[in-house]
Amino acid sequence: MKPIVRSFGMFVRQIANDGMLWGVGLAPLLLGVMIRFGVPYVETVLSGYLPGNILVPYYQLFDLVLFLMTPYMFCFASAMVMLAERDENIAQYLAITPLGKKGYVFSRLYVPVLLSVPASIMVMLYFSLTVWPTRHLLEGAILMGLLSTVVALLVVSISRNRVEGVAVGKLSGLLILGLVVPYFIESGFQYLVCFMPSFWIARYFLDGNILFLLSALVTSLVWIALLFRKFSTKLF
Amino acid sequence: MIHVQDLQFSYTSHPFIADINFTVPAGEIFGFLGPSGAGKTTIQKILTGLLTGFKGNVEVGGIDLRKSNRDLYERIGVDFEFPSLYEKLTGKENLKFFASLYKHHVAIDPLLESVGLINDADKKVSAYSKGMKSRLDFIKALVHDPDILFLDEPTSGLDPSNARVMKNIILQLKANGKTILLTTHNMYDATELCDRVAFIVDGKLVALDTPHNLIISHGASTVRYSYISEGEEKTITTALDKTGTDALLLQLVKENRLSTIHSSEPTLNDIFSFLTGRELQ
Ligand SMILES: Nc1ncnc2c1ncn2[C@@H]1O[C@H](COP(=O)(O)OP(=O)(O)OP(=O)(O)O)[C@@H](O)[C@H]1O
Ligand SMILES: [Mg+2]
Repeated sequence: MKPIVRSFGMFVRQIANDGMLWGVGLAPLLLGVMIRFGVPYVETVLSGYLPGNILVPYYQLFDLVLFLMTPYMFCFASAMVMLAERDENIAQYLAITPLGKKGYVFSRLYVPVLLSVPASIMVMLYFSLTVWPTRHLLEGAILMGLLSTVVALLVVSISRNRVEGVAVGKLSGLLILGLVVPYFIESGFQYLVCFMPSFWIARYFLDGNILFLLSALVTSLVWIALLFRKFSTKLF
Repeated sequence: MIHVQDLQFSYTSHPFIADINFTVPAGEIFGFLGPSGAGKTTIQKILTGLLTGFKGNVEVGGIDLRKSNRDLYERIGVDFEFPSLYEKLTGKENLKFFASLYKHHVAIDPLLESVGLINDADKKVSAYSKGMKSRLDFIKALVHDPDILFLDEPTSGLDPSNARVMKNIILQLKANGKTILLTTHNMYDATELCDRVAFIVDGKLVALDTPHNLIISHGASTVRYSYISEGEEKTITTALDKTGTDALLLQLVKENRLSTIHSSEPTLNDIFSFLTGRELQ
């Protein structure tokens, strides 16, 4: 337990010393303020010109993007720290200390994901546009956490350094597409993105069918299983 | 302390590390010598549990590497081929952090002192020279006073006086009963430090003995002498154990006509080339 606590302490210390990662940590709060106050304001302005509700049907979609933002940013920071530690051969070194490979992955990836669960729920409690029942908040936080884990594994597995990591991280923002698709494409074409866990998450919160929840879980876990080996050989 | 039996491993589908067998008793310095790419680092990574998926039996400190190696990591110290340090932290902060991962650790300042880094302890590692990083990396492997040390080319990149300091520390560690597995390209270091050396070539162990036995058993010492004859210098080489029957040499000695005479013992390097047909580097 002690090695994991120390190792997590070093993770926090690295984030605190890194300007970019400060920004990453603050991003969910900024987005929260924008969504909570900006979106309804735009809606009132627009409805002055156009008849009916313009943005209101998409309030849940804004909420989903906001919900994703916290674990996504936590995992992005986690991936950046892991890439830096890989470049300095530190990940490998930690693997031969009492921390071990498992302890390393636990302190760098799983702990941030676990912390993102309460953090993202807090963000939603303060900033969401629609009302979220407690059960949905819990389910959402877990699903978004798993989805973000996939992002962290992807970033570490396919980038050779931090610069590439930032690029891959931005590219993985396309995952948001999976959230958007069910709101705009009604036809069967929407299943083109069925490989994205985010697609099933949006479907689940749109109509509450438990099968979609399971699909979101399964697609995330399949991605994690597919990427984990590559991630691990890359790090150690 | 270290027991390796029928070890096999490869990064690819082609066979690479194969038929490696050796035992290192407690308190010994055991050397790996071999050309670049031979697999020395690879074998060390297997022995420290970094590379899994090998075949055969590997036991380090009585712990089977296939089973849990949690306890093992309290007891082994590793100095990688390349530094593994937080560049943005100071030397001391690095040591403190790594020491904090262990149940027990030794005082940091004497360690820094031992390799001449005490005055640079509060500098960021990014401002260290290559040799300073190597020295810091080396003492980082000692913070928890491990029984078994794996040192991958610890003296490479060091100037002679710092290399001397480090070699003395290694000998002191041995005197304190540590078991040390050392990789090197430098046959002088190997001859000086190691109780036994293993020659590794293309993933195979081609010879294993004490440096002394390897030298004695594989190469005859020679004597080279020169003299002046008809205004020209002539040089002759003869085996050390044939000097008594070398009539010319005996005559030259009697007549005080030798201009030079040298004996030369084969080095570990010569033995290595002789056994493997390859140069160490
Ligand atoms: N992670 C890896 N993946 C694939 N091949 C590797 C990997 N690491 C090393 N190799 C290959 O394995 C072989 C042995 O490498 P190794 O680092 O063990 O050699 P070495 O004896 O330590 O050499 P040196 O004296 O240069 O340090 C080399 O051909 C190398 O290219
Ligand atoms: Mg090597």
